[in-house]
Amino acid sequence: MNENTMQAIASADGEAEALASAVSGRPIAIQVNNLDFYYGKTHALHNITLGFPERSVTGMIGPSGCGKSTLLRVLNRMYDLYPGQRATGEVMFSGQNILGSGLDLNALRSRVGMVFQKPTPFPMSIYDNIAFGIRLHERVSRSEMDGRVEDALRRVALWPEVKDRLQASATALSGGQQQRLCIARTIAVRPEVILLDEPTSALDPVSTARIEELLDELKTEFTIAIVTHNMQQAARCADQVAFFYLGELVEVDSTARMFTAPRESRTQDYITGRFG
Amino acid sequence: MGNEPAHTVTRYDQELDRLRGLVARMGGLVERQTARAIAAVVDQDEEAALEPPELDVEVDALEREAESLAIRILALRAPMAVDLRVIIAVLKITGDFERIGDYASSIARRALKVEPLDGALSFGALRNMARLVQENLHSAIEAMVNNDSECAMQVWGSDTAIDELYTAMFRELVTYMMEDPRKISPCIHLLFVAKNLERIGDHATNIAERVYYAVTGEMLPALRPRGGAAKKSG
Repeated sequence: MNENTMQAIASADGEAEALASAVSGRPIAIQVNNLDFYYGKTHALHNITLGFPERSVTGMIGPSGCGKSTLLRVLNRMYDLYPGQRATGEVMFSGQNILGSGLDLNALRSRVGMVFQKPTPFPMSIYDNIAFGIRLHERVSRSEMDGRVEDALRRVALWPEVKDRLQASATALSGGQQQRLCIARTIAVRPEVILLDEPTSALDPVSTARIEELLDELKTEFTIAIVTHNMQQAARCADQVAFFYLGELVEVDSTARMFTAPRESRTQDYITGRFG
Repeated sequence: MGNEPAHTVTRYDQELDRLRGLVARMGGLVERQTARAIAAVVDQDEEAALEPPELDVEVDALEREAESLAIRILALRAPMAVDLRVIIAVLKITGDFERIGDYASSIARRALKVEPLDGALSFGALRNMARLVQENLHSAIEAMVNNDSECAMQVWGSDTAIDELYTAMFRELVTYMMEDPRKISPCIHLLFVAKNLERIGDHATNIAERVYYAVTGEMLPALRPRGGAAKKSG
């Protein structure tokens, strides 16, 4: 290989690097450092270090039991609700290690909202589903509350469908509508980060597409972390993708890079359907 | 492009294997077309001249078959990573093979109109060029079949010699034509043959680029290194 060839290749490598780091230039909203997590004696996450860039979508993929949902549950201290579960290491959010003691968990959870796999509307009216979360954290006037509810419902594109029946029960909505209601409930308290745990796995393709479209808009304002089993969904929605396997973070990179040219063979085997 | 463990879905592997088989067969055919076209010119072999256009029918059919299989896999399997790269490479490589087949046919059709020129030039320069083109094409196909990115990169970097030979031939033939207008006709034919060979070399380079991408996931730079003209980029 002559010198010119070498030079030409070196410059092409540079271009690829620039492409791969498209999201890494952003400030980091949540930085996880050397995180280990235990369910009792089970060591579920091993030394995870991962940054969630601000106002972008981080997709987390991997086979069942790989630890991706566990990590999500650490990010807003959900695991605190269960005995015997503990985390070591550091999760930095706004200059504070949220794993530390003495943290106001309610305040944390209003800043780091979560949406679950199955829609979880409260058994109350559509209006109150949204208002409930706001009332927990703030005192607002009736007219301001009306505005906040409408705004949240508009942001998830649910407003036109429910504006005439705000007092109807939320449980009467379709699955896709319920999930959008849950997202509206989450964003109504104005969090900084939204965690989504397989938010569309119980939804039909049209409702799924609506939610994905929604994520695209929400990421201009929020930092989003989404766990998904649907690789195509990660490819469609995420700016960066992290692949977990057996409690380890195998690889994290820009979405384009992950799905066209992953660096690790375990990642490649998983995303191309060559696993075990 | 096939050293990975098997897919969980066996049919997927079978489809990818079939795709690789189709494109490998195309490669074998266009290599033969090129070899026969060159023999037709430099050995003035009339029988050889008939073969490339005949084979072209088969090459075109294979291209269509590979294309429709690739589209099918894209639509039904949503391939990712190395699978995606292989399929994209195959789609482009079949296009390159198809062009090579056309150039070989074109050379073969012209072969018997080319007469050996008296004196210095004759077919000597053309033979040299043809040998290099055939070597590069062969190596590109080998690289493809063996997923050999090193070999692909060598092909990619060695097209310069062919270009230089072509430029030299061009100058020489122009000189002949200026010296003796009666030589214009055979010289023009020879020039077209050389140009077609040079194009086959370019397509071999393209194939090498696609193989390199499919195997490594990295694109080779847009600009190939060129002999003396290469500029150092900052």
